[in-house]
Amino acid sequence: MPLYILACRVLQSMMEPYLRDTSIPVTFMEYGFHRTPQLMTPALQEQLDRITESSVFIIGYGLCGNGLAGLRAGRHTLIVPRVDDCITLLLGSYQSYITEFTAEPGTYYLTKGWLESGSHPLKEYRELLEKYDEETADWIIDEQYRNYKRVVLVAPNLEELDAYRHKAREVADFCTERWGYRYEERIGSDEFVKKLVTVAFQITESTDDFLVIPPGGEVKQEMFWR
Amino acid sequence: MSDALVQISNAVIEGRVKDIPSLTNTALSSGLTAKEILDKGLMPGMDVIGAEFKKGKKFVPEVLLSARTMQASLGILKPLLAQAGEKMAGKVIIGTVKGDLHDIGKSLVGMMLEGAGFEVVDLGKDVPPEKFVDAVKKEKPNIVAMSALLTTTMRSMGHTMTALKEAGLREMVKIMIGGAPVTVDFAKQIGADGYAANAPAAVELAKKFINSN
Repeated sequence: MPLYILACRVLQSMMEPYLRDTSIPVTFMEYGFHRTPQLMTPALQEQLDRITESSVFIIGYGLCGNGLAGLRAGRHTLIVPRVDDCITLLLGSYQSYITEFTAEPGTYYLTKGWLESGSHPLKEYRELLEKYDEETADWIIDEQYRNYKRVVLVAPNLEELDAYRHKAREVADFCTERWGYRYEERIGSDEFVKKLVTVAFQITESTDDFLVIPPGGEVKQEMFWR
Repeated sequence: MSDALVQISNAVIEGRVKDIPSLTNTALSSGLTAKEILDKGLMPGMDVIGAEFKKGKKFVPEVLLSARTMQASLGILKPLLAQAGEKMAGKVIIGTVKGDLHDIGKSLVGMMLEGAGFEVVDLGKDVPPEKFVDAVKKEKPNIVAMSALLTTTMRSMGHTMTALKEAGLREMVKIMIGGAPVTVDFAKQIGADGYAANAPAAVELAKKFINSN
């Protein structure tokens, strides 16, 4: 059966090393959908529905704020990582995510994807200043971010960490000055993504780490609960 | 509908905080009651903004400003609502569940419940199950309202349900839940009494609970 990969661009650099020697067609979708999950489902559905031959689709998305909920497999089989969002994929395992979450629930994660085209408090604050007066912009940004305690830059390797540290620090400094956040870095692991790209297409039933959505099936929120 | 109420609705929808005090006062001097302004001006405005947000047409900053506008109007209306002898509709304990630090939606719901005549005890954010249990014992509310904004923390709602059951308090209260990732199916699954998709819907649900008692 033909194999396709449909993934968020945030995973691109982690996936590419494993895709070099294959001819699997890959579509990387723009970042941004996490902010508007209700637009994510139709955008991904369109990609799936375009392929008329029954295929296996490796989905490079988590539940992503319910953005994946309601996605219909149609004639295809979908393989979906059983994660809430890309942070687990970038950290490398569900356990790593839980460790971070338990250590500090109030964590604002930064990644290459978020820094390049997603969103972060500093960018949002600049946008608010263009639209509102300073008092209003201050009030809005404080309402949204005052409860977090730390910024964590997550990257799959040291090179990417080095490349994005400067941008991340700029955001972190803004947050530290305003709300007293601390700044930390994590080198994730490509273990989860590697499995997703190289072996997950062989599985036929859902496991701890992957969901198999058979033809006619639909992605549902409760499938992600552990 | 009266022009003054339309203007109030529009000010809420557009988040015009600065305009709302004079619009509220004008509406009052034209003979409208505080309750009419709340039910027919502020609430419909929040309904619109809530629906637009769900559709992805409005974003968090706009919703926040609408809430702030509503709050400014409520500040004027509240003493009048109390004066008019509006009977307290009931008591609600509200909080964002453990591990979750998002309090915007929760506070908005609390504010609107207060506006609708409920006595609201706000437990804040990152509220562990045992704190909900203690508060139910102490406050004896009619309703417990829980919020979660992450798919990772939604499960805490289930844990709070279990804690209330184990403490023998489950049957004493109605439980309602909400928050961006929460669904009606999830509410059924954990055995909550109801789910509300937005703040005005939460007020309607709370009223329904009280009236069905």
